[in-house]
Amino acid sequence: MSKWKPLEKMKILGKKYPRIDGAEKVTGRARYTYDQFKEGMLYGAILGSRYPAAKIVKIDDSMVWSLPGVKAVLTDVHPTGRVRYVGEEIAAVAATTPEILGEALRLFRVEYEKLPFTLYLEEAMKDEAPRVFPRRSNVNKPRIREEGNVEQGFAQAEVVLEDTFRTQVQIQTPLESHGSMVYWDGDELIIYDSTQAVHGVREGIAKMLDMPLHKVRVICHHMGGGFGSKLQPGIYTVIAARLAKQANAPVRLMLDRQLEFLTTGNRPDSLSRIKMGAKRDGTITAFFAKTYGTAGIGNGAGVRLPIVYSIPNVRHEHHDVYTNAGAARPFRAPGCPQASFAMEQMMDEMAEKLGMDPLQFRLKNDSNPTRQKEWMIGAERFGWHRRKVTPASDPGPIKRGMGLGASIWWPGGRGTKASMKIYSDGSVEVFCGTQDLGTGTRTHIAAVAAEELGLELKQIKVHIGDSNYPRSGASGGSTTSPSVAPAIKNTAEKARQELGKILAEHWNVSPEAIIFSDGYVIASGEAKQRLSWKEACGLLETDVLEVHGEWSEGLSSSGVAGCQFAEVEVDTDTGKIRVLRIVAVADCGLILDRLTTESQVNGGIIQGISYALFEERLFDPQTGAMVNPNFETYKIVGTMETPEIEVILFDEPERGVIGIGEPPTIPTSGAIANAVYNAIGVRIKSLPMTPDKVLQALANQKA
Amino acid sequence: MKPPPFDYFAPQTLEEVLQLLEQYGDDAKVLAGGQSLIPTMNFRLAQPAVLIDLNGIRELADIQESDEEITVGAMTRQRMLEKSVIIREKTPLIFETIPHIAHVQIRNRGTVGGNLAHADPASELPAVMVTLNATFKLQSLKSERWVSASDFFQGMYMTALQPEEILTEVRIPVQAVTGLYGFEEVARRHGDYALAGVSVLVHLDENQNCEDVRITYFSVGEAPVPAHNAVQFLTGQPLEDEIISEAAELAANNDIDPHDDIHASAKYRRHLAKILTIRALQKAKNRNKPN
Repeated sequence: MSKWKPLEKMKILGKKYPRIDGAEKVTGRARYTYDQFKEGMLYGAILGSRYPAAKIVKIDDSMVWSLPGVKAVLTDVHPTGRVRYVGEEIAAVAATTPEILGEALRLFRVEYEKLPFTLYLEEAMKDEAPRVFPRRSNVNKPRIREEGNVEQGFAQAEVVLEDTFRTQVQIQTPLESHGSMVYWDGDELIIYDSTQAVHGVREGIAKMLDMPLHKVRVICHHMGGGFGSKLQPGIYTVIAARLAKQANAPVRLMLDRQLEFLTTGNRPDSLSRIKMGAKRDGTITAFFAKTYGTAGIGNGAGVRLPIVYSIPNVRHEHHDVYTNAGAARPFRAPGCPQASFAMEQMMDEMAEKLGMDPLQFRLKNDSNPTRQKEWMIGAERFGWHRRKVTPASDPGPIKRGMGLGASIWWPGGRGTKASMKIYSDGSVEVFCGTQDLGTGTRTHIAAVAAEELGLELKQIKVHIGDSNYPRSGASGGSTTSPSVAPAIKNTAEKARQELGKILAEHWNVSPEAIIFSDGYVIASGEAKQRLSWKEACGLLETDVLEVHGEWSEGLSSSGVAGCQFAEVEVDTDTGKIRVLRIVAVADCGLILDRLTTESQVNGGIIQGISYALFEERLFDPQTGAMVNPNFETYKIVGTMETPEIEVILFDEPERGVIGIGEPPTIPTSGAIANAVYNAIGVRIKSLPMTPDKVLQALANQKA
Repeated sequence: MKPPPFDYFAPQTLEEVLQLLEQYGDDAKVLAGGQSLIPTMNFRLAQPAVLIDLNGIRELADIQESDEEITVGAMTRQRMLEKSVIIREKTPLIFETIPHIAHVQIRNRGTVGGNLAHADPASELPAVMVTLNATFKLQSLKSERWVSASDFFQGMYMTALQPEEILTEVRIPVQAVTGLYGFEEVARRHGDYALAGVSVLVHLDENQNCEDVRITYFSVGEAPVPAHNAVQFLTGQPLEDEIISEAAELAANNDIDPHDDIHASAKYRRHLAKILTIRALQKAKNRNKPN
């Protein structure tokens, strides 16, 4: 397969163009899973456990059945009857209207045997804490990462610093909650799911329902966000399928906001105790971290330390800790923002101790050649030289400061298949079993195909989000673009070659002489023949040319570097932090669409600001219920708190397509924390950085 | 969530409203802008059997001025206050407050009467009405009475309104609007309920000493909280930095009784009250430009 054309020869890729489905979305015509409707459809809802730890003794559904409009009820949803968090699924109901559901859920009579529970990380780590799983300690055995020799590294160090950082549990909070609309077509199950993985969900649901793959079809036309929480098949889908079977009717079951907060994943919290050693010349020689995190009843609360910087001698011990809360799920750059918040502050503390500028200290310990360039570009644009060297030097009460942080990412592309149909009237269809989780994949596919065929975006009809289409992976790990774009290029290239052969024969020239450009097919060289795309397609003997293609090496790469600069204002009387400005330099390989790329970086930063200042899952220690499972009390950054964000796309087209969705959210909280320190002279070592923590830190400093 | 079933009435005259209230009393709720009532019903925290929609009562939505007072109809949208020349010129304290009330979309719908009758202790307008010494007209089929703002607010979501009464009109005395004023609040995000807030109105005597001072807090107690101790302290004194600080300290320590919740501790609210009092009084002071 040929390489990408040089950027200067590209007509579409690397440029700015709006999404092909943008108008559909803003006018409300785009049909999300939430919008799916079928004649006779019922509305489903799940009853979640009231208690964080209990045995379900009995579920009486007789009252539920007495409610007019109730068509199906399940009381055997939970496999063991031993629940471990509030909201864990125990029963379900389907009814003719959504209004009935609220009443129906109240009519289940559930007898619980309540058990002791533990909610928060440091509480669950204590010996006397109730066990989440009776035969397992809450504190898992450590996972150990070791490089070099950490004792020797500390022996070489001339300055050693120790500190502790804490981050909170953050919820993915997609605007469209998790859920499915399902119906049975004979013994085949059709599922409209709000998912990041149509193929993965098909495989998962088929397994869970013990059905052959070809009898399960999963469709997701449009998706209202997932951020990693919609990579797996959902129990709500299985429940909806069972309700649909029982009632012999289609069922739409979308989680309400409360269950969405409780049961569909989160970013685990973290407690990181760090020790770092460096030489006077600014070389970091050793890094030791002992970290803990809770993924609720699940695992995967790792903290990716040390992050970004090159350190020869490292030891990191991590313990996952169980608590009575919903299991974590991947969340935009899993394990990284937690690590970055701690790492970037340690870097600044060390730089200060060594009397070095934080940027210089980073340059000295950052071995990534791309980021070396990005640091300089960002510093220049941001005006880093204007940073006050002495913290808290503004007179106040409102003080300003500047800080920075770095991002990183690893995964690249992987197997994706696609097919293309070209009809004799010139119309083109592309089929790919990927999905657009809001990042612009549908548009990118049209762009790559149009670029290859010398057509315009609007001439390509893109079909995605259906497990009947050629297989592509889940949209996670920032893998979608580097997986899908090469497959589409390959498919379009094959189509071009096939069509080229027909035209070469028609004009009696060699196939290499055929060029596709600006809506024309041209025989270059002496023949000087030219047909419009439509005329050329008219030569197809059969009415449709169909080709299949797939991902291959050489068109995408892995590894992403980036950096961010933040300026903040802190009101030292009220403790309120306001982010004034963020400048981000984002590594982005070959850009597919500058608009969607910038949008991804903006989104990552906004979510990072939200993580830094606002979001936090809170439990009632008495009942174990989440006290803020809604958009009013679970604070997410708003438009008025979102600062000016300047995104500098650092493109290296020769690297091919890379995925950039996750890295921009990594360094924001650390950069803000460093800026806060620069402004007020005290460090906020726990997230979110709320006004009361800022005031407390200032008061402690005075004392 | 969706609300449980209820009966719905959409009367066209105040008379009809009062009749319905007389008939249904406690079982009924009046629907004004619905910005608090509808979510409360959707969460099933309120389950009125009867909903009386006031949105058809045109006569309740206007702003008028006379020599003595400014009159605001209960169904006046918050956005109308914001856009009103009378409000901007005659009650600048209200004008300064409005942008802090939720968001434009909510203010388009939310009404003055609904805002006041809901009596959310974290809400801005009730405290401002107490500061302005406003009076409220409460009507029922059989009676009509006037109640001062400070008597109207009785506790968290509790007012002087009887089940068969509604708030129809707000009157703000003109002399109240000629003073030096200030409004301050701190919220986690723009448009959120404030963690603490304060409105102040000060009249100075000919010697530039405080003659009539009104300071009212919100989000630090069960209802709008007047700063009696601070007011007493300030009366007769000039608005000078040290005096302002002392008054703020006094108010924060003695006048308010804030509570802990998930958004802020009582201690932090007390601290905020002090800072905001200083800032609001400073603002008032800076507005004093003797001829």
